[in-house]
Amino acid sequence: MLNLIRKDIVLQKNTLVILLPALLIALLIDRSIIWVGVLFSFAIIMQSFALDEKPSTNLLMNSLPYTRKEIVSSKYIGACVFTFIILLTIVVGNIIIHREITQLDQLLFIAGVIVVFISFAFPFSYLFKSQYLMIACGVLFVLYLVLVNKFIPDLNDRLRAGVQTILSFDNSVLYAGGILAVVLLYMFSWMLSIRIYSRKVF
Amino acid sequence: MENVIELQNVNKAFKGFELKDMSISVKKGFVTGFIGGNGVGKSTTIKLIMNLLQPDSGEISLFGLNYKKHEKEIKQRIGFVFDHNVFYEHITLAEMKKIIKPAYKNWDDTIFYQYVNLFELPLKKPIKTFSKGMMMKASLAFALSHRAELIIMDEPTSGLDPIFRRELLDILHDLMEDEEKTIFFSTHITTDLDRIADYITFIHNGQHIFTKEHYKIEEDYAIVKGETNLLDRDTEQEFLGIRKSNHGFEALTTNKKRTANLFGDTVILEKPTLEDIMLYTKKGNDNYAKSYS
Amino acid sequence: MHILISNSSKEPIYNQIKDQIKQLVLSGELKEGDVLPSMRQLAKDLHISVITTKRAYEELEKEGFIFSVIGKGSFVSEQNNEMILERKRIAIEEQLIAAIQNSKEIGVGLGELKELLTMLYKGDL
Repeated sequence: MLNLIRKDIVLQKNTLVILLPALLIALLIDRSIIWVGVLFSFAIIMQSFALDEKPSTNLLMNSLPYTRKEIVSSKYIGACVFTFIILLTIVVGNIIIHREITQLDQLLFIAGVIVVFISFAFPFSYLFKSQYLMIACGVLFVLYLVLVNKFIPDLNDRLRAGVQTILSFDNSVLYAGGILAVVLLYMFSWMLSIRIYSRKVF
Repeated sequence: MENVIELQNVNKAFKGFELKDMSISVKKGFVTGFIGGNGVGKSTTIKLIMNLLQPDSGEISLFGLNYKKHEKEIKQRIGFVFDHNVFYEHITLAEMKKIIKPAYKNWDDTIFYQYVNLFELPLKKPIKTFSKGMMMKASLAFALSHRAELIIMDEPTSGLDPIFRRELLDILHDLMEDEEKTIFFSTHITTDLDRIADYITFIHNGQHIFTKEHYKIEEDYAIVKGETNLLDRDTEQEFLGIRKSNHGFEALTTNKKRTANLFGDTVILEKPTLEDIMLYTKKGNDNYAKSYS
Repeated sequence: MHILISNSSKEPIYNQIKDQIKQLVLSGELKEGDVLPSMRQLAKDLHISVITTKRAYEELEKEGFIFSVIGKGSFVSEQNNEMILERKRIAIEEQLIAAIQNSKEIGVGLGELKELLTMLYKGDL
């Protein structure tokens, strides 16, 4: 399985070579780059995923001595590795460029958002195709607008209030609970993807 | 004799297509040619054998092991060649090798480079620039470089020129010097099989028609030619896919001896090619379906 | 060992191999104890399937021309001339019996048959 993860990193080598300097440039301009970090991580993870989506590549991977469980798991672990590489670049970049240590809660927030994204994106892409992700996001956004305008006009306020309540909790409890919830979500998504992929026909 | 591949009563249904009660065994140490027309289930059968598809019912075992418990062990021992490119196209052969190599315990770089040299393959060019023949050679190099005991190939010769087809057969002959190796390959270019196949497995419309020693086919089957007035309701039962014309009839018999006894010198018996057998069986089945449905 | 295979021949390939090896043994070109190429080697050299050479060797073994030692290969057997002659004699007897039966069926007498045989024998050889 390590081979599969290594394979993904090697295949994304060129993308990393472009992406990581771009990340450093972004750091130069603005030191709070949470959303850039999230975007870059997500982009590289999904690009690596999309590369293996072709039926012929699935044929190859499954003919090699790997199980379907390993093939899916390599994507989930690989996503963590890519995120780690991005985070590491941010931390190191901040030390070199701004001579300061990035706050832990910022890093955790980036990781958390990516994990949540991936938890939905992977099973969806295994079930359909990653290219439909954008369409799905569009549809969700429209649904959200409809919801806000027609049914719950104060949805945004409610959400804001909810976030405030969470943030007013004691920090350690908040973090522990948040991390636990995100990890559980990831695990659940992982198991779900294995189920979906093991029934896939290509 | 040991069986390397064994399918027992395997069923698999798709929309508009079905493999029915397929039981096939492939003998160790021999070359089995897998024949049948387009869309009769050859690729599906190969995918089932390689665990790329799971059967609806029935048992599949390779080397006496089943995929549920021994998936990786089985795949370690298989070398595969597909009829189209399955490798990443944007990278080079050398890069692809770096991806494939760590998957196999018994990978041998020396063998790989031998084939790369023999086939004159460029290591540093992206695979997407390869011709169909080079692609096939690259697949073959990957399939043969990890000391696989079983080589499974889906239409390896389709779209290749006669010279390379002959080269491929030479390579297979070399491999078969080792009695531990087994080759199973599908093709619809049946003349490729004449010089290499020990056994022929023939399927039609999702059903296994026969698996026979290659030489046994000309002992059992024959093309029969004779005058049309020899045919009546009873004698027609002897034949498959009868073709009548003003000059006489032509048909396939599946029991050459009985036909010879029955008709004696009144008919001519000729050695059938594999293509003849495929053609007449198809015609026979179609007629059967027409008159009985 | 020279073996020529004809693809256009009506004779199955395993029979061609069998007959040619038999010929080599009977003519003394292959001698007792000589080692034959392995089935797989021969198949490779002649560009034919392994099962074809396997069948040829099996039949040669059955007819007593060669014997196989597992792990070592196939060898030419000791040729017992008496036995070969005896086998031929039995074959001649059988064929003559058939000729006699046919003669009786259509009323050809012994004298006439003898005459025919003499004529054929002289004419043929």
